[in-house]
Amino acid sequence: MLALQLLFNAIALGAAYALVALGFVLILNATSAVNFAQGDLVMVGGFGALAFGSLLGLPGIVLLVPLLVVMIGIGFLLAFVAYFPVRKRPPDTVFITTIAAGIIMSNGANAIFGPEPRATPSLVSSGDWQIGGLVVSYQSAAVIIVAAALIVGLHLLFTRTQIGRRLRATAQDRDVAASIGIPVNLMVAATFAVGAALAGAAGLLLSRNFFVSPTDGANYMLKAYIAVTLGGWGSIPGAVIGALIIAAFEVAFPALPALIPALAPYAEAFTQVWSTVVLYVLILLILWQRPQGLFGEAVRARP
Amino acid sequence: MTMPATPTLSPSAVPVRQRPSPAMLVNGIIVVLLGLYLVWSGMAAGNYTLRVLSIAGIYALLAIGYQFIFGHAGALALSQGTFMGVGAYASGILAVNYGVPFDLALPISVGLPVLLALIVAAPVLRLETHYFALATLIISQVVLLIAIEWISFTGGANGIGGVPPIRIFSVTIPPGWPLLATVWGFVALGALLAWQIARGRLGQAWACVRTAPSAAAAIGLDASRLRLTAFLLSAAYAGFAGSLYVHALRVISPDVLSFPIIVSCLTIVVVGSRLRPVGALLGALLIILLPEWFRDLRDYYLLAYGCILLLVVVIAPAGLLGTLELLAGQLLPASPSPAPSPRPLEPLAVRGAAVKTSEAAAAPVLDVSRLCCSFGGVRAVDDVSLRVMAGEALGLIGPNGSGKTTLVNLVSGFYVPDSGRIALCGENITGRSSYRIARAGVARTFQTVALVEDMTALDNVSIARDVNRIGLGAALRVGLRDPVQTRAREEAAFLLEQMGAADAMMRPAGSLPYGVRRRVEIARALAVQPTLMLLDEPAAGLNETEQSDLAQRLRALLKQGTALLVIEHNMSFLAPLVDRMACLDAGRLIAEGTPQHVKSDARVLEAYLGTASELVPA
Repeated sequence: MLALQLLFNAIALGAAYALVALGFVLILNATSAVNFAQGDLVMVGGFGALAFGSLLGLPGIVLLVPLLVVMIGIGFLLAFVAYFPVRKRPPDTVFITTIAAGIIMSNGANAIFGPEPRATPSLVSSGDWQIGGLVVSYQSAAVIIVAAALIVGLHLLFTRTQIGRRLRATAQDRDVAASIGIPVNLMVAATFAVGAALAGAAGLLLSRNFFVSPTDGANYMLKAYIAVTLGGWGSIPGAVIGALIIAAFEVAFPALPALIPALAPYAEAFTQVWSTVVLYVLILLILWQRPQGLFGEAVRARP
Repeated sequence: MTMPATPTLSPSAVPVRQRPSPAMLVNGIIVVLLGLYLVWSGMAAGNYTLRVLSIAGIYALLAIGYQFIFGHAGALALSQGTFMGVGAYASGILAVNYGVPFDLALPISVGLPVLLALIVAAPVLRLETHYFALATLIISQVVLLIAIEWISFTGGANGIGGVPPIRIFSVTIPPGWPLLATVWGFVALGALLAWQIARGRLGQAWACVRTAPSAAAAIGLDASRLRLTAFLLSAAYAGFAGSLYVHALRVISPDVLSFPIIVSCLTIVVVGSRLRPVGALLGALLIILLPEWFRDLRDYYLLAYGCILLLVVVIAPAGLLGTLELLAGQLLPASPSPAPSPRPLEPLAVRGAAVKTSEAAAAPVLDVSRLCCSFGGVRAVDDVSLRVMAGEALGLIGPNGSGKTTLVNLVSGFYVPDSGRIALCGENITGRSSYRIARAGVARTFQTVALVEDMTALDNVSIARDVNRIGLGAALRVGLRDPVQTRAREEAAFLLEQMGAADAMMRPAGSLPYGVRRRVEIARALAVQPTLMLLDEPAAGLNETEQSDLAQRLRALLKQGTALLVIEHNMSFLAPLVDRMACLDAGRLIAEGTPQHVKSDARVLEAYLGTASELVPA
């Protein structure tokens, strides 16, 4: 039963992480650059939900709609501030401009909301179902449902709509896309908007249980970054899988002494912090053994 | 070959005192202004300002160090703050717990970050940009978490207080202007050393690896070793800065390991300059003083940080210093340095041991046997065998996409073959990395010319001389020229003169016309003193005069015993030059023999034209 509970918790957490990682990988594919502000967009989403919540007094799930609208706007803004002015420069320039954008967001949030961690409104209401020994909180169930709905919606957008096909074409090969008349710049800006919206939604989903504070960005960015590294650089399904792996690790690690009796005497070592350290060291080992990432990259550089 | 006896025409023979270049003038003026500002502050400012200025100096040192890995090696490392933190913790803990003063702790507070860099370098340095940034970020997070969790040793989140002030040779440096003077004294030394390194051969080798990586490998530069040098230098500077930092702040806390430190460091370098130490000084003073100037904005002043970083990246990609240098370059007349007097290259003593010469003389210079290389399902090179003897030229022809360039990439080690064997003078070199193959005596040019654009033609060639003698040693001889560099430049001048590019010598490679760039590239290949030279479409884009000129110079090379493998579509250039020709089609060798024989071979004609008819000479 513990294993089942852990699995449920891992999926609830992984679903939210997956949204962040999806936004990260979409922007990566469209620009071949890392968006270092992806984590700060999650934080902005959290504070956005907080602001809407105190303004409107509605449950979180309703706040999602205005929040997504605002995040789409922020995504466009990010593209115009941190991407378009430097799009003809080497990709690592975008690393730096998005780091700068992240600093602006986190210090902006700090100036407006203060440094203390805050909790966003719950998605529906507090409470839980008891199914056998399994505790399913409304919040976690709603997180899974909302995240799944967004992922399915995204999938439909990309596969069933004209704009989705254009977005995909732009990500695959900008020059070819431009040559057949797709407005690639608009598509890249739209990708930033989608990426920001996904991150913002994740901010709403995560900030009830984990709170939100202005310096949270780096942490979420790293998780998205690692998820995409694990899942295969540039792979969209891989990003979701990578996010689920990270969440599973984070949920399982502190529970290991309970699951494996032999580890029980060392229970003190299985804290959240050491779970992060172990995860990071594992990633380093993976990169050491497989410099191309776990599932490799498609491109081979020509001299 | 004799030394050209025209010293009177050589500019260097005329004892004209050289004017400083506009860029150097800008650097000099800024140094003087910053110096005056600091001296004035030291006399007039209050204790608080002096302290802030001291901290700015420490950041300047940190940033000068960061320029090695981020600027020179071009790798977005996010671990610089960690190296500083490790140095700070080492020095702080040694001082508080063991009473070791600042100066005696230095070997450890500098050595420990360098050791950490050395340990993580193996897995991390070969990663692509995006994984390198991730890996260094992860390392910094791990070190931060350890510093917070290992409370008994590091004091945890609260850190350790009561760190004594800096003590050097038993003299305690009090806060105020003595601290300011000490810190900035170290900054001056650090900047001087960095400047020596950057203008020397090490700096040029980094430029080559950063901006023309293929070319760097083709002349035998060991990119990973060069990157490692940069990484270790960064860590050493950071460790030193950290050690100053902890004794200036008098407390140690995990803040020194946190992300804002690396962000400040990155901002300083981007805003000031990625390559010039003076830019780091300028950037550090601006970035550290800025929050003080905008103090009235309270919480919003940190916003300004991000805005400035963003603005400078967008508007002034070369940084403030680089922009000023560009402006000065436009306003002031350029004053190219005098060209060195040419010195002919000494013939290679025997490459390798003397014992090998008897058999090596008999063995073909290049012996390729049954070479295969596929990309996905495409067999780019399919079971190719060929030989080139000393002093012989082999022409390689074939339609576009027939595998010619792939073959050259295989021989020069840029690709690893799936099967088959490549031997150089009887020695198996299959699977060796490209820089080692270059050092074994294989030089090459590229289909699209690969030069370091803002380095002079002379230095593009001189860097290829003595590639195994590039190191830190020369940088320590402050104020003196590196004798290896002086000699390499003289030899490069000779080679450029040989290739008929003497006039272009002192101009940046990026400003040269196409034909001259080709010749500079061939001069660079010659600087390797190759036994085998691989030329990928050397005549492309050259006019007829230039072509016959090039052919003449290549013939001279052949006379000296160099073996040539030339890819070319231009038959009127190729046929008279080469002894034999080989034709590739869809990765397979379909004909080999004298130019006349190959040109009229039915299969060759079919490969080119689809039907058997006379091949029209281009």
